[in-house]
Amino acid sequence: MKKSISKIKISSVFLTLLISTPAIIIFLYLFIGHSDNWQHLKDTLLFTYISNSLYIMIGVAILTGILGFSTAYLTSIYTFKFSKFFHYALILPFAMPTYIVAYIYGGMFNVAGTVTQFVLRVLDKNINEIPFFDIMSIEGAILVMSFVLYPYVYLICKSYLSFESASIIDAAKTFNLSSWQILRKVIIPISRPAIVAGVTLAVMEAVADFGVVDYYGVNTFVTGIFKTWFGMGSINDAAKLASILMTFVFLLIILERIQRKNKVFKSSGKDFKPINKVKLTGFKSFLAFSVCFIPFFFGFLLPFIQMTYWFAITYKDIIDEEFIKILYQTLTLAIISATIITAMALLFVYNIRKNKDKSSSVLTQIVKLGYSIPGAVIAVGILSFFSFLDKYVIDFFTSSYIISGTILAIIFGYCVRFLAIGINNFEAGFSRIPHTYDDAAKMLNVNERRTFFTIFAPLLKNSAFSAFIIVFIEVIKELPLTMILRPFNYDTLAILALELTQQSQFAESSVPSMFILLIGMISVLLLAKNMNKA
Amino acid sequence: MIKKIALSAVLLASSLFASGEVNVYSHRHYDTDKKLFKMFEDKTGIKVNVVKAKASALIKRIETEGKKSPADVLITVDAGRLYQAKKEGILQPIHSDYLIKNIPENLRDKDNEWFGVTIRSRVTAYKIGSGMKDKLSTYEDLADPKFKGQLMVRSSNSIYNQSLMAAMIAHHGKEYAIKWAKGVVSNLASSPKGDDTYQVKAIANGIGTVALVNTYYVGKMAGNNDLSQAESVKQIKIFFPKFKNGGTHINISGAAVAKYAPNKENAIKFIEFLTSKEAQKVFAQENFEYPVLKGVENTDIAKAWGTFTPDNISLNELGKYNKDAVIAFDVAGWK
Repeated sequence: MKKSISKIKISSVFLTLLISTPAIIIFLYLFIGHSDNWQHLKDTLLFTYISNSLYIMIGVAILTGILGFSTAYLTSIYTFKFSKFFHYALILPFAMPTYIVAYIYGGMFNVAGTVTQFVLRVLDKNINEIPFFDIMSIEGAILVMSFVLYPYVYLICKSYLSFESASIIDAAKTFNLSSWQILRKVIIPISRPAIVAGVTLAVMEAVADFGVVDYYGVNTFVTGIFKTWFGMGSINDAAKLASILMTFVFLLIILERIQRKNKVFKSSGKDFKPINKVKLTGFKSFLAFSVCFIPFFFGFLLPFIQMTYWFAITYKDIIDEEFIKILYQTLTLAIISATIITAMALLFVYNIRKNKDKSSSVLTQIVKLGYSIPGAVIAVGILSFFSFLDKYVIDFFTSSYIISGTILAIIFGYCVRFLAIGINNFEAGFSRIPHTYDDAAKMLNVNERRTFFTIFAPLLKNSAFSAFIIVFIEVIKELPLTMILRPFNYDTLAILALELTQQSQFAESSVPSMFILLIGMISVLLLAKNMNKA
Repeated sequence: MIKKIALSAVLLASSLFASGEVNVYSHRHYDTDKKLFKMFEDKTGIKVNVVKAKASALIKRIETEGKKSPADVLITVDAGRLYQAKKEGILQPIHSDYLIKNIPENLRDKDNEWFGVTIRSRVTAYKIGSGMKDKLSTYEDLADPKFKGQLMVRSSNSIYNQSLMAAMIAHHGKEYAIKWAKGVVSNLASSPKGDDTYQVKAIANGIGTVALVNTYYVGKMAGNNDLSQAESVKQIKIFFPKFKNGGTHINISGAAVAKYAPNKENAIKFIEFLTSKEAQKVFAQENFEYPVLKGVENTDIAKAWGTFTPDNISLNELGKYNKDAVIAFDVAGWK
């Protein structure tokens, strides 16, 4: 038994080293001399980068927290008009590529937008005569990101609530607490780990975004990183900015951990009975419907309608043999990556569970950092790492490159970037399994493998499935990393969508985007169905 | 043993492909390019392998790959990045009488390490009926308070704006350029955002009246499936500003041969093809770019914009001052 524990530990140490190498390389740039650029950044934009990024992080945290938790709570505890529909529908925005939604909202609600112009015509007013909220602003970026990213919180809270709350609600009811009191005093506190896990993912995703903020003209760390690299040609300073961003996120994770200490809810594990959902009627039902409809409408329905229209008028120009090839490449890449990442994530979280030591949990926090680093920066770390391997290790065998510029490099990049998602899913899953199970297995002298397969595996099936699906969708949507690391003649749907938007062919870009969305939707429906079974 | 197998596999692979392919690292992302690559393949039997990304990322990739890099040709959308690539030492001189004879001197590197393939000009578009036609003159004049609340520009992250600013620095020096940028910023109708298409749509819909845009965007908008783009174009006109002591700002899409190009000959053949009459026609007719080769006709849309005298500074200057341009933007508060 001891032997296999150490095997897991050794593997996770090795994987941590491997996965964090690109980040370490980026960190090393911190120690490579200062240039004039750095002074210039400090003098002019560094403060703006910090304040804007913080603003976006806080805004997205609050909005995704509210949208994700409230919808998860309502659909788990109550039934109301269309509540079954919302169970599935609320996850759909997750399948939307954020930057595509940003372009679509730009086209509808910016000063020259179709909706804005329509309203102006109806009112017979000039743009300067009405109070106008410019969607292409930092607040607009926060809104767009939150409406697309809240499903992170919804998904994790929902599976947590459906699993945990029945017995607790029953217990709370015996104390004669009202629904509101139960929500405030019991459900919100016990859901905290789930809310935080979801919000952390949403915030990390938001802070690493480039597409939305670039188009909306907002200066953040990531636009700064790109500007410093692409504009000033200084990769050292770009990497320095990335290191600051990473440190920033790392501190945030640690702070959250310290604060959460001793507050993690531990299940009694006695009974996992399904919730007896309370039926809402009248105004209450309407209110619950509205709360669920708003995020569904803005995160999915509205952009979907625009995309459908564009798809209908352009699909004939875009779908051809080449497109089918791109579709096939995207799917295989996503399936392979999601499988590998899910397996790795399980290993990391299982290691914490088994060894219960600080070092294991620190390892996990380190590999989770990758999620906060912009894809393009990870790509630079990977390029440097693999060309080192190619030059000094592989060189012994062959005279040409075998790692750099191959699918292997991209998949490795996804592991660095998306392992956090897998890990968060399994952490939530494991937190639902009472530690008494482990102790019982130990007392009964059941070997570890058997404990894993007979106790943990069935209980973790759902977490594994949602980890796989979420990573799968993320890979399908991923852009900068794929662009920089891909081999020759290798396109994905996301890259095709981006290229078309760069040519201002927004209508045409809806075709690859629609396929991303459809694949995402099918996956999301499977996910929701799976959650139902739970 | 493993070494032997790997070696023979590589030998086999190289005998199969080496003579008949060219590996292109391109920052361009247009459908016309796909068509041109196909035309080249059909004509020569040489297979074109492409990887596309931002120029700086491609340059970094070639640099890290070092001697083993499979890159043959680097294509960028601006002269600045080619200048940077040359400075990094990842290019080599191209010996081609055809290119030297046909590409004007100001559109190529002085050591022949890169050649212009197409020309773009960054100009102003103004709203028809806004009275701006008579007010527009030079780039410098855009900083004049008479344009207060009228101008639309995209952000300083755009390479097209960076090149224009680099040209301004080349003409007048850094201090003047910063002052100019501050003037432009104080004339803006809205903070910099969106792409060139957005700027055109914004002035067409009454947010500001003058926008800085690349001409080929306007050409592409005119025939776009998204009718709101075509509609917007109908409400604007192009004006070609000049520098006080020069002409209209131009930049190029250019091509270079990588230093360790494994298929050097094919690479040169490929660049020669891109500057051939048949290829230049495709660039001009389908992507609304200006040809680098004399005697190739523009589209009717481009002809209707009118003619212009290109600026006289060397395109090398755009690369030389790119970093200064970015800094000037930041100092001037041009987002």
